[in-house]
Amino acid sequence: MIFGRHSVLKRGCSTWDPNEVPQAEFQARLDNVRSEMARQNFDALVIYGDNYSFADLCYLTNYFPKVRGGIAVVPRDGAISLLLNIGSRDVPFAKTLTWVEDVRASNNVGADGAKLLKERGLERAKIGLTDSGKGFPLLQLEEMKAALPTVTWHACDPLMVSDRLAKTPLELEAMRAAGRLLNTICREAGRLIKPGRKEYEIIADIDRLARDQGAEDIRILAGETRLNPPSFKRAAAVSNHWAVYLAVQHERYWSEAGRTFILDNDTKRRSAYDQAQAAVAQMARELKTGGAVAAIGETGRRALGDFYATALVYGIANGIGLNQWEAPFLNESDAQEVGAPAIGPTILAEHMTLALRAAFQTEGKMIIFGDSFEVTADGAKSLLIS
Amino acid sequence: MREKGLQTLLVYEGGRHNFLRMNYVAYLTDFISVGPETMLLVPLEDAPVLYLSPVWDIPRAQEESFVREVRAFKEFWSRLAALSGNAGLIGREAMSVGLHDQITKALGRTAVNAKDIIENLARSKTPFELERLRRAAEIADAGVKALHEDARLGLKEYELAAIVEYRMRSLGAEDNFGMVVANHHNQALHPPTDRITQKGDIIIGEITPCIGGLFVQICRTMILGEPAPVVREKYAILKKAMGLGMEAATTGAPASAVAAAINDTFIEYGYEQYCRPPFMRVRGHGLGCGSFAPGSLEDANQTRLEEGMTYIIHPNQYLPETGYLTLGDTVVMTKTKAESLMKSSWDIFIKE
Repeated sequence: MIFGRHSVLKRGCSTWDPNEVPQAEFQARLDNVRSEMARQNFDALVIYGDNYSFADLCYLTNYFPKVRGGIAVVPRDGAISLLLNIGSRDVPFAKTLTWVEDVRASNNVGADGAKLLKERGLERAKIGLTDSGKGFPLLQLEEMKAALPTVTWHACDPLMVSDRLAKTPLELEAMRAAGRLLNTICREAGRLIKPGRKEYEIIADIDRLARDQGAEDIRILAGETRLNPPSFKRAAAVSNHWAVYLAVQHERYWSEAGRTFILDNDTKRRSAYDQAQAAVAQMARELKTGGAVAAIGETGRRALGDFYATALVYGIANGIGLNQWEAPFLNESDAQEVGAPAIGPTILAEHMTLALRAAFQTEGKMIIFGDSFEVTADGAKSLLIS
Repeated sequence: MREKGLQTLLVYEGGRHNFLRMNYVAYLTDFISVGPETMLLVPLEDAPVLYLSPVWDIPRAQEESFVREVRAFKEFWSRLAALSGNAGLIGREAMSVGLHDQITKALGRTAVNAKDIIENLARSKTPFELERLRRAAEIADAGVKALHEDARLGLKEYELAAIVEYRMRSLGAEDNFGMVVANHHNQALHPPTDRITQKGDIIIGEITPCIGGLFVQICRTMILGEPAPVVREKYAILKKAMGLGMEAATTGAPASAVAAAINDTFIEYGYEQYCRPPFMRVRGHGLGCGSFAPGSLEDANQTRLEEGMTYIIHPNQYLPETGYLTLGDTVVMTKTKAESLMKSSWDIFIKE
């Protein structure tokens, strides 16, 4: 899979417009989750999220942590609480990002989480713990559990996986907005990538395009011979070849794309890039309702030929949404690499969203092409062109 | 390691480079990982080995770090199982419970928490680190200058933030703990919204570029249009507090002395209650990547300021008449006192 350098702070446009994404959207999700809680006989859920992995926390609350983490306490009945590792003066801003009314500040969500659970009468409860990103600070988690010796804890990372697979119309609109933003960047990038410019100067231009359009966060990896995260060490001038991987978070949802800019007439590299594009197009044809997830991998293998083995290292397909990498995955190994709780379904359903990519090296240069798609009854629909 | 009787050090990082906690692997190798699992194995008598995921990032690690042997993370487990003698673990805070348990099981014992080995080494910045910090400081100053040049009425908050980000990225900044917001009366700093700037807005910024993994921070205030007299009057208190904070930051003094100098200034003007939560908590904090010494500048912190420590002094303050105002510089401790790394004026910047 392709990992970018994680932002120290999610510092892009941070808003929530309840007219665009109303509370009813979250209530429906909450109702589904509570049905599952009842089925598994959980009295409450504790959901951890941070700015690295916020999907489950955000799915129910719409809140996404900007820097440190936090937990949502979701009792089977009654109001949800958000306990966030922020200062008390930051609570009013945090409340602008969520429909949850009970938002509290803490500098130790483990210890304060235990107090909150006791306050809610849950000190003897059966509680599901969701930490899909495995980011709950170990010492704080130990502290929370130690303070609640009579709670029965159950790890339940996969609990929301199936609910999150097929996106609602509002989720799809957010992903299309991210896709349109990516499309603009990909279109403009050709103008920005010129021989002689420093790599980090071009990255600054690309980053600006995203931020000026209200992106919440962005990942950029680029280079001539491999994909590198932004670094002041990347002061070399671009020559005649540059590959770039982009992922943009907009209104909480990610879309991704990959493009290669070949600035000379090298036929071998141009042909390899054509093959990468053709491979993604062929894999996209497998994205139809009722199609097998495994067929994407099989098609990718055939289309990529000798490049397939290298392309597998970068991953050729995975679900995308509130997380850059989520179910469905092609195989256990991909899911494990990103720490995902489940590989997901083997059959595609309408409104699932996937990122497809072909990334490999040829002639010592990096080639990448990728796009994000929605599965529909009529086949794949690009999230970049919508 | 010898003093602690350790045969091996296991240094972990989870691909979440952050200025709120130390990236021990980056400190020792100059390589900032992006994948979810990176482990530097340091034997007492042998060459270190870096294990990481994803495997496609191995060539970058070989190029950027001094470690010659870089392997896929999955190979770590067989090496771990073969280790003998005491092992120290650094980076436990960044680990998941599952990974920690797996390491304990593979070792057959719990590794000793050994983070103080690196944290003590890293208290004072080396000339290599200071060179990077000075470069980061120049970039932070450039970010402030860009905001002064390009901020104007009608831009959205996130566009203001993008101005700063763009200038700093163009100069090589890798990341930024940056918040720029604008309002007639700011309650606090926060990531930008889509609010459109208006005449008389007070723009506050906390700008924190990262170079080679090392962060510096600068805090400044500007105004779109002529400020009300009360804003000038109250901002002067911040400037006075900043000056007194700098004066109190002498080598050997406790970190609390800086906080006290700043708090006393606001108390003198009748703002004692605003020196405490929810309005304000600390008056600065350690910065860099290698170490967070001296920690937070607050009343209870008795850590002595040592030559080579780097930290920010920021008398940022919410005042009921003006809202939140910001001013702060990253400083380095010299043999005798704190010296600012920044060149931007402390004055409030007024843009007509």
